[in-house]
Parts: sequence; structure tokens; C-alpha cells
Amino acid sequence: MEFLDLTIRELHNELVKKTVTPLELVREALLRAKSDANNAFELIMEKEALNLASKLKEPEANNLFWGIPFAIKDNFSTKDVATTASSNILNGYVPVFDAAVVKRLLDAKAIPIAKTTLDELAMGGSGTTGHLGTTYNPYDRKREHLIGGSSCGSAASVAASIVPFALGSDTGDSIRKPASYAGLVGFKPTWGRISRFGLFPFATSLDHVGYFTRSIFDAASLLNILAGRDDEDSTSSEVPVEDYTRLLTTDIRGARIAVIKEVVESIYDKDIGAAFQKTLASLRARGAHIEYVSIDRKLLESLFPTYIVISCAEATSNNANLDGIKFGPHYEAPTYEGTIMQARTKGFSELIKRRFVIGSFCLMKENQEVLFLRAQKIRRMVVEKITAILSDFDVIFVPASPTPAPRIGEMSDRLSDEYLIADNHMIIGNFAGLPSITLPIGFKKNLPFGGNITGSPFAEARVLQIAKVVEDISGFYNLSTRTAKV
Amino acid sequence: MNFEAVIGLEIHVEMKTRSKMFSSAPVEFGVEPNTLIVPNDMAFPGTMPTVNRQAVINAIRVADALHMQIDEVLVFDRKNYFYSDLPKGYQITQDKRPIGRNGHLDVKTDVVRTISIERLHIEEDTCKQLHFSDYTLLDYNRSGVPLIEIVSRPDIRSGDEAMKYVEAIRSVVIYADVSDGKMEEGSLRCDVNISLRPLGSAKLGTKVEVKNLNSLANIQRAIDFEVRRQERSLLLGQPIVQETRRFDEATRETITMRIKTDAVDYKYFTEPNLTPIRLRRDFIDEAIASCPELAETKARRYLGDQGLSERDASIILQSKDLAQYYDEAARCTTNYKALANWVTGEVVAYLNKKSIPVENFFISPSQLALLVDSIERKDISSKQGRDIFAEMLSTTSSVKEAREKLGIATQISDESIIITYISEALTAFPESVEDYRDGKDRALGFLIGQIMKKSGGKVNPGLTSKLLVEELKKR
Repeated sequence: MEFLDLTIRELHNELVKKTVTPLELVREALLRAKSDANNAFELIMEKEALNLASKLKEPEANNLFWGIPFAIKDNFSTKDVATTASSNILNGYVPVFDAAVVKRLLDAKAIPIAKTTLDELAMGGSGTTGHLGTTYNPYDRKREHLIGGSSCGSAASVAASIVPFALGSDTGDSIRKPASYAGLVGFKPTWGRISRFGLFPFATSLDHVGYFTRSIFDAASLLNILAGRDDEDSTSSEVPVEDYTRLLTTDIRGARIAVIKEVVESIYDKDIGAAFQKTLASLRARGAHIEYVSIDRKLLESLFPTYIVISCAEATSNNANLDGIKFGPHYEAPTYEGTIMQARTKGFSELIKRRFVIGSFCLMKENQEVLFLRAQKIRRMVVEKITAILSDFDVIFVPASPTPAPRIGEMSDRLSDEYLIADNHMIIGNFAGLPSITLPIGFKKNLPFGGNITGSPFAEARVLQIAKVVEDISGFYNLSTRTAKV
Repeated sequence: MNFEAVIGLEIHVEMKTRSKMFSSAPVEFGVEPNTLIVPNDMAFPGTMPTVNRQAVINAIRVADALHMQIDEVLVFDRKNYFYSDLPKGYQITQDKRPIGRNGHLDVKTDVVRTISIERLHIEEDTCKQLHFSDYTLLDYNRSGVPLIEIVSRPDIRSGDEAMKYVEAIRSVVIYADVSDGKMEEGSLRCDVNISLRPLGSAKLGTKVEVKNLNSLANIQRAIDFEVRRQERSLLLGQPIVQETRRFDEATRETITMRIKTDAVDYKYFTEPNLTPIRLRRDFIDEAIASCPELAETKARRYLGDQGLSERDASIILQSKDLAQYYDEAARCTTNYKALANWVTGEVVAYLNKKSIPVENFFISPSQLALLVDSIERKDISSKQGRDIFAEMLSTTSSVKEAREKLGIATQISDESIIITYISEALTAFPESVEDYRDGKDRALGFLIGQIMKKSGGKVNPGLTSKLLVEELKKR
């Protein structure tokens, strides 16, 4: 049986009909996970998953997640299951509590089958920097292409149909970029919509919990159970949670969609450009109002440096708890400085150290004003600009990436428009904490690429409505390496 | 040359809230190490802070008692540094916007001086380190305990004044129910910054910090020592070194801990896990209005309406629990002065003798009030009152029970009844009346004895003697 090629909703129907049991599903998922060739997993939770699955007997018709296997990015705390954030400094760390989202899914009787790889401590966009090495894009059997990061393992496991959904985190575009490279729906709702409790922090003010699915319906149904106030995360919102699946519609007449001119102009890939224009035309044909809006290039070009300053500054503080004293590898030394220095010297890769040095530098008294505080000011300018646009439009729609998945080791020119603008514009969604979703809109040769839809704070329902229509237009529903006809 | 000491104090107060500042772990002192911990207190990855509401209320109360401006927006910052007692690698504190600013406190030594207070902010405690010869143990029970830090301006001029200032702040935090204020247990910790300058000079001298002051007396001793030490150095033309010193209890001297080079850069920035919280005006007002009565207010009440002596008021206020005992008793009587005499006299003497805390004192405030009232109404004599008091304590009985046991009936103070007894006696013993007229005072005692006998000892002796003399004169 190939049940795991199905989406969550489809699997649910089979479970309710009892054509398959949770135990059979989990066995199939574990089998696929074990034969994974893309380095998607930190840890396969075989014993735990089989144990949970064997307890589920009577299907729950009203609970879409009953018996559904899923994967968890390894920067979510999982009780009694080692969690390393793909960093050596956390080798051997076994948390004593579940992240809020993990708990919600467990309460819904979904079954975690694995912890997935990430760029070390979620800092990176390539999926190549975790302590287990590069995670590959399942669309390329020759393993020459990236899947992107930092949520690389979660993206790979959903794209390869090992699980129908996986948890991820998104600080710059760590869900939405790999979603583009892996032909997936990658969604991060509004900052505060989903509790971050138990997510290992990278840059608190930019961190979002999100997930990968293979359909918009599944994305909406996941939000139904993950959204909502959590007293353990005081930044989580009291705004009422809606029924996002019920609000899905195919009628988008009158919807106002903004396209950022400078982003589109910075994309030189003809196939991506064409697929995007085709999608726009179809949206227009269905009654949406499409309009190009402009954002000062200078502001767009400063997104990346601003992001680096803020994220590195917060990261250096957030990761100061990793000192080898309380958990992770411990080194004896005559002084506490010695213990901390050894743990951090041996535990972090050079890339991480570089980020911490940058972050520390930006926070130094003599630099705060010109670096950290100036970055905050630019962030505010970006937020004001995007808020102004969204006051006039339902959503902003742009290509999610300037290219399909790049080759491993292929570095784009970091000063080009293509890099500074087209490769980094999704950071806007993190600066402003906006609901933002990537979904497939086309293929170039064998590699998928996506479009990105971003809406106003807590307008998840609207974002999902428009995404649903884009999914209908593209026909890329339940896209995976097993179902893609390429 | 005459020097002037310029002294500023930083006081850390551990709050005795039910749970920690940013976590749900309970706050308790003197329990088994590492038993009061939730993952947040050890900075396990993914844990997040949540603000303790009661701690904010406490900080508002203290800030108000110190006449401070209270910020209506609660903002927290991170103070970043690595240390073995700091689990997160940063401390959550308030840097840019302390909850209280620009306060003051009057301190009375030979004169009354107003000490300005720069700021009061909320923060969390670190874990406790126990150092041994070749290892250190960490107790995370203290990690995250709520603190308030109160920073004075350098307005203090002497060790005595510093001690009085700390005493006054200690009284505020104890009476406001914010802390137990026990310096010896570290609930109230004090760091002193001290420099000297020529009298009349506006320029500040080099500052020395003194730590580890665990009693009021030591604050004064350390400052007095430090003033003499710096004075001597300056007179010898030796410059003062900017350093941190600690007070050594054994030698009663301050000794160098570390020389301060450049100040540490704590790389403060706003805590992103706690978005600024707007404190509603009514929340602040309610926090202040519901603050338990402070010693200063109690003193005004005692010396004003209740008419207590300064001595009694100050004895009562030396202990919050004793003041509470007195206040509860004072709600049951209006004989405040008599009550205060009893509390500061018999009660305190008993408690001291038995060395038991007032909260364990057997006689309830209302019972004591009852006893005081009986004496004041002249139902019983003071002597009988003391007998009853002793009986109550030795047999754990009520006023009524003790009195019955001792056979002390209600005194007769009704004049018409007493006069009836007197008339009977005078009629029965005319010779005694004669004796009295002849100037034989003995007769008076005899007659009173007879009246006592007749009344079963119930008549008020003082009143009886007064009325008897009047009746005799009439005859």
C-alpha cells in the first residue's frame, strides 16, 4: 500500500473507513524514513511511534489528525527524545518537556515518527550546515541540489512523502524558501498566532512556528489545531482562532492582490517569470484585482543586512544558555570560563561563531546606535511600508525565490539585485510578523519553484483563501516526488 | 583638610512571592537544593519567561512608598554576560525603563535629611553557588527568584545615615509584605559606593565599591572604616584605586576583591519574549491602595489618634508581627495606651523570656483587649489583671476561665451598692465610728475589712475607701 502518498485529509478518510490503521501507516512511514537518501533525519522515533500507534484503535471521525504520522524539526523540544538542533553543542540533550505545538499534536493523537535535520541551530538557508551534513533535495536523485533551509529535513520528508506534514520554524524564510525548492506548501502564520514555547530560539522577534504540507486544505486544518493563546508564551495572541478550513473558498472575486514591482524585476529566470505571470492572469480571470506596487529599492536592498544585524544580535543572546554547564557535552576545567569556552569552541561550527561575533559586535555599547538600533529603525520603516500596502490590498503575491533550488556550493552574487531583493524579500514577513505562505507554481526541468502570498496580521483566512485558488490554478495539489509527473 | 563622604547605595531585595519572577516554580528559602525548579530556571532551550503579576504589584508598592514616579509601561531588558551562576547567559532586568524613578526618603540621624532615590527596577536572581576547594555546586532554587533593586543617588554622607536609610527601606519592604528583609539570609543585600572629596568641593573623588554587607551594623562599620581608610590615603597623598572591596567581619575591615578596569559592557537590549505591558492606571492605583499599612503610617496613627508614647510606638513597630498583634487588639478596645503598655510590657517580656515569636503567642489579641478593658473599667484591679494574665499563660485558658479559676469575681463599683454596705457597717460598729472621730486611723482599716468581708471581697477597694471617708464625715 502507498497510503503515505496521500494528504492528511485523504489519509484521515482512509483511517475512518478503516482501510488502514495508524499502526500500518506508522510502519509505512518508518520504512520510508529508514530508506531516506536525503539526510532528512536526526533521529527516527521508531519505538515511540509504534507505541503510540498501537494504542489507537477506534478512529475519530471529527479529528483529522488521529493516527496521522508527522515529522518534527529538531529544534522543537520533545520530551524524552534527544533534540540537538543539528548542533554538536546539544549532543545528548534529552528535553524534559514537549514544545506547545508538539503537545497539541500529541493531544490530537497525531504520531511523531522522526526529528528532522536543520541548518545548525536554524541559522542558515542552505540546509548544508547541520552537524549531520548536507540535506539533499529529493527532486534531484543525483543529490546535486540544495533543498534550502533551515527547515531542510522537514521539507525533504514531506516532499518525499515520508510524512504528510512536518513542523518547521521560520526566522528569515526558513520554511517558505525550502517550500519553494521542494514544491511544498510552507506556511508561517502571524507572529503570536502559534505558541513558540519549546521552539529553540534563534532570533526571538523574528522566529515563527510553521509547517510544510502538500495541500492548502491541510495547511488550513493544521492551523485550526495549532493556533491560539498559550500562557507559556506571553507573546502568543488572544485574537480568536477561526475555522480556517471552513473559510476556504474558490470565489475570490474582488480580492485585491498587490505585486511588488522591484521583486518581480529582480527575477531573471524566464520560466519563473512566465509561470508567475500565468498565475497572475488566471487570478485576474477569476475576478481578482491585481496591481503592481513599488517599494524603494534601497529599502529592499537593506533587508538582508538589517536581518543579519537583528538576527545575529538576538541569536548571540538566545544561545548564551549553551555553555556546557547544564546540558550538552561538558568539559572539566579549572575555571567556569574554561568549561564554557571549551563547550562553545567545540560545540559550534565556524559559521555559528561568526554569527555570534557579528551579533555581539552589533550589541556593543559603542556600536548599538549605528548597527543594532539603526537596524531596528530600518525594520520599522519596512513594517510601515508593508502595512501601508496591506491597508489597500488583501495580500501581496510574488515569486518565492529567484531560481529553483540552486546547486550545492553554488553561491549567488551577494550584492546582486537577484540576491539582495529577490532572494531575501520574504524576510519582510518576519520583520512585520505577517502570515505568509509559499506554494508551488511551476517546474523548471525537474525542479519545482513556488509563489509567496503574504497578508495582514491575523488575516490567515484570507491568505489561505487566495492560496487555495492559486493551488487550483496550478494544479499542484499533493505534489511530491512520488506524485510529480516530471 | 576636611573631607566629605559621598555615598550611594544599591539595595537588592528578594521578594517572597509564591512563584518566581518569570517561571512557575515556587519560591521558598532553606529547602533542599535543586528541588524548586522548572525547565525555565535552568534555561532549557525553548523555555520562555512569563511575568509574575504579584512581583509587579510589589514593585509598585515599594516604588510608591519611596515617592517614585511609576512607569505605566512595563519593559524588560536583557543584561548579557557569561557566568556560572547565570543559566541563560543573560539576566532579565529593567535597564532603560525602570518601573520606579526619582524617589526620595527622609532619613533621621542628628538631623533629618532627604535622600534621593534614582531608580527601582525588577529583575531575577541568579542561582546560588557553593564553592569548595576544587569544585563548585549550583543550587537553582534561587535562580529566577524575583528581586527589586533600589539605587540611591550619592546623597548619603555617613555610615550612620546609610544604616538608617537601609533600615527605613527594610521597614518598607517588610511592612509592604514584599520581603522578609532578612539581611543575614541574603533577602536584603546591599552594595555601597563610596568616595571622598574635600568639603565644599563639587567634584567627585574616585569611587570604591564595598560588597558583602550582611547586617545593618556592618554597613555602618564598613563605611566608617572605608572613610577612615580613604581619608588616610588622601592625606598621605596616595590616590584612591577604583576597586571592589568586601567587608571582612572578623577584622571589621574592608579588603580588596578586584580592581575595576573598564566597566563590563552588558550589551543590553529589550527582552523580545516579553512585549511591553501597559499597566492600567487602575491596576497601579489598586496595587498601591491594597498595600498593607507601612510602619510610617502606623506610627502616625499610634502617635496621633491613639495617643501612644513615642517609646511604646517604636517598640511596637520594631516588629511587623508585634504591630499586627497590637493592631488586631486595638480593633477590640479603645484603651490604646493601656493596651500599648501591656503589649510593650507584659507581652514583650513574656515573649522574650520564652523566646517565642508573637505569632505563636497563646493569648489572642481580642483576649488581651478584653483583659485590658476589664482593668480600665475597674472590674478588676491591675494586680488581678496580672494574675489573670499569668493564669491564662500557665493553663492556656481564656480571661473568663482564668478569672473563675482564680475566684476573681466582678468588682462592685456601683456607688449606691457600696454605700449600702458602708451604712450597714457603720450601724453595726458605732465604736469604730467613735474611734475614727477620735483620730484613730486604725478604725478605717477595720471598717473596710468588714465591708470586704460582707461583700465577699467584691467591692472596689479604692472606691470603697473614698466613699467611707465621705460617709464618716457626714456622721
